[in-house]
Amino acid sequence: MSSLAPVHPLVRDLRLLGVAFGYELRKVTAWRAGFVVRELMRSLWRPLVMIFVYRAILATPDARVGGFDFPTMVAYLILAASFEKLLFHQRGLDLADQIFQGYVTKYLTMPVRFFVLALGRFVQHVAVQASVVAILWIAGWALFPQWWPRPASASAALQAFGLVLLGSYCAFLVCFLVNVLAFWLEVVWTLSAMASFVFSFAAGVLVPVSAMPDGLAGTLRWLFPYWAVSAPGELFLGRLGTPDFVRGVLVLLAWIVALELLRQFLWRRGLRRHVGAGA
Amino acid sequence: MSEVLIEVRGAGKRFRTWKRREGVRGFFANLFAREWTEVTALEGIELEIRRGEFVGLIGANGAGKTTLLKCVSGITPVSSGSARMFGCDSFELRDEHKRRLSMVMGQRSQLWWDLPAIDSFRLLREIYSIPKSDFDARVAAAAERLAVGDKLERQLRNLSLGERMKMEIIGAFLHEPDVVFLDEPTIGLDLVSRETIRRYLVEINRARGVTIVLTSHDMEDIEETCRRLVILRQGRVLFDGGLVDLKARVYERRAIEVHLEASSPGWDPAWEPLLAPFDARLERAAPLTLLFSVSAPAVQRFVPFLFERFAIRDLSIEHHPLDMIIRQIFQGRESGA
Repeated sequence: MSSLAPVHPLVRDLRLLGVAFGYELRKVTAWRAGFVVRELMRSLWRPLVMIFVYRAILATPDARVGGFDFPTMVAYLILAASFEKLLFHQRGLDLADQIFQGYVTKYLTMPVRFFVLALGRFVQHVAVQASVVAILWIAGWALFPQWWPRPASASAALQAFGLVLLGSYCAFLVCFLVNVLAFWLEVVWTLSAMASFVFSFAAGVLVPVSAMPDGLAGTLRWLFPYWAVSAPGELFLGRLGTPDFVRGVLVLLAWIVALELLRQFLWRRGLRRHVGAGA
Repeated sequence: MSEVLIEVRGAGKRFRTWKRREGVRGFFANLFAREWTEVTALEGIELEIRRGEFVGLIGANGAGKTTLLKCVSGITPVSSGSARMFGCDSFELRDEHKRRLSMVMGQRSQLWWDLPAIDSFRLLREIYSIPKSDFDARVAAAAERLAVGDKLERQLRNLSLGERMKMEIIGAFLHEPDVVFLDEPTIGLDLVSRETIRRYLVEINRARGVTIVLTSHDMEDIEETCRRLVILRQGRVLFDGGLVDLKARVYERRAIEVHLEASSPGWDPAWEPLLAPFDARLERAAPLTLLFSVSAPAVQRFVPFLFERFAIRDLSIEHHPLDMIIRQIFQGRESGA
């Protein structure tokens, strides 16, 4: 037996999270030719297309879409694309495959909470994508200074970043939940694709939520995607203020609690069902 | 007597599965009215494994070997009876118990494909809270013993199957577990790798008194490592005893392989009753090769019988191979339970 030092479970989980983060970081960066190029290019084509679409819609200087003129819309699209990159997505988690192939049961024989290892993947994703976004922004400021968004204030930028991080954690929990459905379903990727489409729309990646019809926008403001992309974008540009930030934090925390409870419930039920079937 | 680490009493495992129906109607029927069937994977299993034992668990595909490993290791609960390890219900093991066990599934690599094994070991070090100095010493010793010391930093995908399995074995023993479950660890490996892994397992079992439960379809694995054998057939224990006991049966019988001349008549099923006086059985009949299992005292009378009926080119008499005995047990022709 290994020699064991008595450590509080939370401390142990945090230490394991640190190691899992490093492990995941090496996994995603090691021996992957074109990793940087791929990460830099991913998610860029959509805002580029939308910039041309809005160029056509906002052709005249006084034309507006939901209060956005063309330069503000370009700034918003850049922000939305940047924030979307920071959000956890389905490609980042291969849990469904692990469930299908029966690997996940191995962790039941280990003194570890599987979720901590998955959390390492989340931390890695945010760290890597934050680096990629930082590179993009440095290049953007250097190449397109007149178009690239500038924060209304340092506080607005921090508030926006805070909301994006909380929103990314919500997205991670949703990804985890969709993957956990593999305990019951055989094809999870279709659900992932559908969830991704709904998420893009609700987050205002293509059209700012505030530019949508009032009824729809009012509904989307209760959902976490809006507070993960659209609202941080408008906060950054100074179109929303601190009261909106506070409301966003409360909405996102409520979502995190609800998703976390659902995650724990589905994980336990799924695992019991999985091993009950002899997997 | 050494401490009992694994205790299985009257354990059974059943699970439900549903029959998939095809077509559009079948799709809706599958959604709303599934046809469930219950599969019995294990039934009435009685097993007691003590500290330091090296137990071979064998059986045909679907016999319940892996299910039994999963029940005992706490991956899946038993449906009836009990499975206990370290004195606790296996399915309710706490972290301090899980630190004492390990599992290797030969067909499911636990190490990350894109990373060197040493990176996966570092994650295991954190999971099992292994002090760094112990970790470094154990990795170095095991890697040297298994001749993969220069492969630790190499990406797993660039290692051979045998090297990857050696890395799995190193990972399994890193935290010095008391009980290790090995599910077909030598599957698909070449002769040299199999030998190296077997020797390592035997050494570690003897040196540290680790309890090892091994499943394998390779009888050489079993013969060279295990002192005790548990044979499963259709979810039941058919034989549980020392390998020596089973080998004693090997010496009770002989395998006679007969190679026929091209001009020789082949085997005629009508001759089956003629074998009874020799306590002989036809094990295999190819056009020009026959394999008989004969009781040892009857060999002297049986050989002339063969020469009377066939034009024989060559004939060999050997001890009954262990796998022939096992096959007979699988087929229900012998029962030693």
